[in-house]
Amino acid sequence: MAGSSGTNGQGFFTTRVDTFLNWARSNSLMPMPMGLACCAIEMMGFAGPKYDAARFGSEAMRFSPRQADLMIVAGWCSYKMSHAIRRVWDQMGDPKWCIAMGACASTGGMHRCYGVVQGVDNFLPVDVYISGCPPRPESVLHALMDIQEKIRNEYSVVQDYEVGAAGERAPIMPENTSKFPGQLEKPKASGLTLEAPDTGADGAEDSSSPAPVAA
Amino acid sequence: MSTPDDPRDANPKDPEELRFHYTPSDEPKPEQDTDNAHATDTTRVPEVIDALRKEFGAAVLDVERYANEDTVYVEKSRIREICRFLKAEESFEYFVDLGGIDNFTAEDRYEVFYNLVSIERQKRIRLKVRVDEEDMRVPSVTEVYRAANWNEREAYDMFGFEFVDHPDPRRMYMPEDFDYHPLRKEFPQLGVPGSLPLPPQTPDGELTMDPFAAAHGSQPVKSYQEPATDPDSE
Repeated sequence: MAGSSGTNGQGFFTTRVDTFLNWARSNSLMPMPMGLACCAIEMMGFAGPKYDAARFGSEAMRFSPRQADLMIVAGWCSYKMSHAIRRVWDQMGDPKWCIAMGACASTGGMHRCYGVVQGVDNFLPVDVYISGCPPRPESVLHALMDIQEKIRNEYSVVQDYEVGAAGERAPIMPENTSKFPGQLEKPKASGLTLEAPDTGADGAEDSSSPAPVAA
Repeated sequence: MSTPDDPRDANPKDPEELRFHYTPSDEPKPEQDTDNAHATDTTRVPEVIDALRKEFGAAVLDVERYANEDTVYVEKSRIREICRFLKAEESFEYFVDLGGIDNFTAEDRYEVFYNLVSIERQKRIRLKVRVDEEDMRVPSVTEVYRAANWNEREAYDMFGFEFVDHPDPRRMYMPEDFDYHPLRKEFPQLGVPGSLPLPPQTPDGELTMDPFAAAHGSQPVKSYQEPATDPDSE
């Protein structure tokens, strides 16, 4: 496990909660297969025995958004469908990630016309784009590994306030979410601000300071 | 000398075999294999056109032949009668397709085509009516062919024809409040920005449309009642 110290023959090892949780999360992604067109066939190949997404712990496709945390938008998305996709995305519990699979989901692809949304990133926070028309299942596996890499570098439970001076502690605010890879969206409840302990009222000024060192 | 394995290596072939049979030709092939029902012409209907001319006279405007297919241009105002005649008298009881064409010309800009099949005769006929931009009204043939219902709705949606006496003149694909007709030539390929609602682009934005309206108790708008029985069977 990354970030853990060795057992040193002591029969135990130490690690961080974040590291442990991210390790568990990244190896148990449950994709929500939003199959819209021919890319869905390749997505089935990705989950099937030959390409074997089970090696990455992601073989359990969940057709209920409540049980899924990775949406794979596979295929072209019409304006009509975009509202349904958005509903399904909203029903997925946080934390969640999104893959735009194929040229159509990424940019509209060859469907350069009035009825097709020119890329699902018009209404979804896409984490990984896959090129190809349709992409090979290996590409989907690669995208999945990119998502895993992303998860392993997230702050999921605790933030690393041990590193850096107190003045460099930045609260998670909408304007600096890019410094917090795990916090793609601002908090749902208005007025909720996730702050480091005992930074007090100076949180607003701290928002311009650099992010803490990654865990 | 042994025969070559690959038949393409054989001596020069009969030129008749090499001829590409599917090149569109306006005239029928001289040799007609009349034993094979699938090889006979299905798209030439001179006797039906004669009957139409006899029955409707000047309402039959033009007869065009391309790729050995007959296309009959007829008067727009009489298309329903002509369809009824073809169905009742000439056994064209199978309505295949209906759609619009935008020629983007100053006069008679649009056309509506009707593809009909007679199973009894094993023949097809294509009717066309010319529609001017000034008067987009076309008599609906839904009364004659009930299958034309959705096709006419589609043609209305895409081109803006007004099908007179259509039982359910709603759009087929685009939202009811959409202001444009996308298959018209002047419609921009990428659509008109903002004419179709997108979901909110921020996580907490208001949802702009309910995609599962039926599941949430909303009844679909229907401007007519399906007839309980087929009117033809009475």
